[in-house]
Amino acid sequence: MIQQLAASTGFSIIIVTLLLTPLAALVSTTLAGKKRNIETITAVSTFFILIQGIILVAAVISEKTVTAFNGIFYVDAFSAVILLPISLVGFVAALYSINYIGRQYNNGFMDHKQLVRYYQEFNLFIFTMLLVPVSNNLGLMWVAIEATTLVSVLLIMLYVKEDAIEAAWKYLIVATVGLSFAFFGITFFYYANTNVAASDLGDGWNWTTMLSNAKLFDPTVVKIAFIFILVGYGTKAGLAPMHTWLPDAHSEAPTPVSALLSGVLLNCAIYAIVRFHIISSNAIGSLFSSQLLIMLGVVSIGIAAASIYFQRDMKRMLAYSSVEHMGIVAFAIGTGGLIGVYGAMLHIINHAITKPLMFFASGTISQKFETKAMRHIRGVITVMPATGALFLLGGLAIAGMPPFNIFLSEFLILSSGFNSGQFIASSLVLLFLTVIFAGFTGHLVRMVFGTPRREMKKGDLGKFAVIPMIILVVLALILGVYVPEPLQILARGVSTIINQGDLPK
Amino acid sequence: MIPTDAPQIDILTISSAVLMIATFGVVVRRGFMDWLRAYRYQTMALSGVTAIIAYMTGIWEIYIAAALTLIIKAVAIPRVLLRVTSQVKFVARYELNPYISVRLSAIISALLVALAYFLTQQVPFRSDQILRAYLPVSLSLLFIGMFTMVNRRVALNQIVGLLIIENGLFLFATALTHGISLIIEIGVFIDILVGVIISAALMTRISHTFDNLNVDNLEHLRDDKEE
Repeated sequence: MIQQLAASTGFSIIIVTLLLTPLAALVSTTLAGKKRNIETITAVSTFFILIQGIILVAAVISEKTVTAFNGIFYVDAFSAVILLPISLVGFVAALYSINYIGRQYNNGFMDHKQLVRYYQEFNLFIFTMLLVPVSNNLGLMWVAIEATTLVSVLLIMLYVKEDAIEAAWKYLIVATVGLSFAFFGITFFYYANTNVAASDLGDGWNWTTMLSNAKLFDPTVVKIAFIFILVGYGTKAGLAPMHTWLPDAHSEAPTPVSALLSGVLLNCAIYAIVRFHIISSNAIGSLFSSQLLIMLGVVSIGIAAASIYFQRDMKRMLAYSSVEHMGIVAFAIGTGGLIGVYGAMLHIINHAITKPLMFFASGTISQKFETKAMRHIRGVITVMPATGALFLLGGLAIAGMPPFNIFLSEFLILSSGFNSGQFIASSLVLLFLTVIFAGFTGHLVRMVFGTPRREMKKGDLGKFAVIPMIILVVLALILGVYVPEPLQILARGVSTIINQGDLPK
Repeated sequence: MIPTDAPQIDILTISSAVLMIATFGVVVRRGFMDWLRAYRYQTMALSGVTAIIAYMTGIWEIYIAAALTLIIKAVAIPRVLLRVTSQVKFVARYELNPYISVRLSAIISALLVALAYFLTQQVPFRSDQILRAYLPVSLSLLFIGMFTMVNRRVALNQIVGLLIIENGLFLFATALTHGISLIIEIGVFIDILVGVIISAALMTRISHTFDNLNVDNLEHLRDDKEE
């Protein structure tokens, strides 16, 4: 009993400090003044977040679920799969910012006020994203996701450029309308929950409460609710055809922010969708929501394939690649089964490792070549050897080449798709993936090799541009050949949560 | 428990009618000031409706929500938007050229209201006076808000469309669940307020960059084009 109490207060403290660290960093970046201090504070705080995230994930592995403050915070294996990339990418993005944003500052693209604002908003962005997977209350989770939209709009409009303003405006309008739909959906689920909750089960907004009552929900209400959820959070997750804001926002944002948007933020929206998919599966069986997820997934991959093939802008290509990977995750969740969910979880983590790597490389390249048009970028490997090599490796990884991590998860997902009897959908996915592979590697090879169009000074852009990429490429290679035990436990844990929908005791 | 005697049902009908009339004020006017005024009336009506729901259910938290609606949405948000308009040129304040004419817009909005009433009858909601009165209205607000957003070219008007959707969302949540919990409500209100402030900042930038507030300017980013 005492041990239990000690353990639970211990976990409460971890969750609270995890959430307080970025806020403390926000305050101290405001007060710090000097550029150097601001950079150090953000790097150190994100490093602390990484450590705390790992501790929390370790706690989840040993305890299965961690709750704090009367069930306001609830962390299970699925939350852990989302938490891990946030803390990891937050750290490498902070490291990369030192070089990238510092260079923008030195080149006069932003003044000191904008620099301070960038780091404030960066820390706030991390905070809002951390809030999503730890909150048990689905209403508050919505508030957190809407907050991520607002903070990232601020980050995108940091540059006073026409394109950035346009991207920020579209993002704000489309994502906010989308999220309003999601709130309609959540309200429907809450209504279904209050209609059946005879006894006092705590807060009706809590995921745990909804899940335990799900079997008694009204089927019609659940169906309408899930469609609202899918359209709403699907907009935020960049699933086609609601993805229209995504290529603009992700390509116009400052590069470290693009990495966070693509690698991490989209996962948060997918996370929300899957939580409701679980509730809906428990209420009316998984067929309804699975079919919808598979459909949206295949459409997303298809649209991404066409857009990547004919793409001319490097960062837009990466943005469409995010549409593709979110589609793959949705497809994998839809096909379900142990292997499908296992593959989906690995894919979330793998994508969160590989996509920031690609954005970092492309940011450095566009700083050096002063363009994002792929036509003008030739011979990256001769101009900047380290970045060029990492860009090539990352590109091969993200296109799904063995022995990198994405290949492994895509292979698992496709085999699960064929096993579950989704022949047409799986064949389409396979076809689209082939097109994407051809298009992506074609663009990549043309950019990396060849001779540069004009005389350029050789050399990479500083150690803080390269170190984050090396960290990520090493992780991508390791996860391609071997999935560590803790990750396996986590992914299997999520499979149980999604497939049986049982609340771990 | 909700009493079902006649006078209160009349209040329900009348209040939802007031809300609908205020909403149509947005559809049929061109000037941004008229929009803002119509939005303010709509929000005040919404606040009143919220207070009625609070009175009928006897849940005191809903009174707070009604007060917050009045303070944040009827006072603070119009003030923020007014400040933006004082910074942009005169031309931007009028919707001279909506995609669909004002007269046709009114007809389409009326059809959308009918659609909302039809759709709410398809769903087996529990039988309840508040639900029956306000649920179709809230869906109408959602539809009309979306319609006005895609129909107008001026960025300011798109924001008003978004705010109408938010009002519909709020009414929907309050009517369906008889008061969403206070902490979520406060979070939602903060999100809306911050969102409006950010969009105001963005609009100031748009007007500085393009000299007007038309969203037609914002069609530069495309796939088939290079920088």
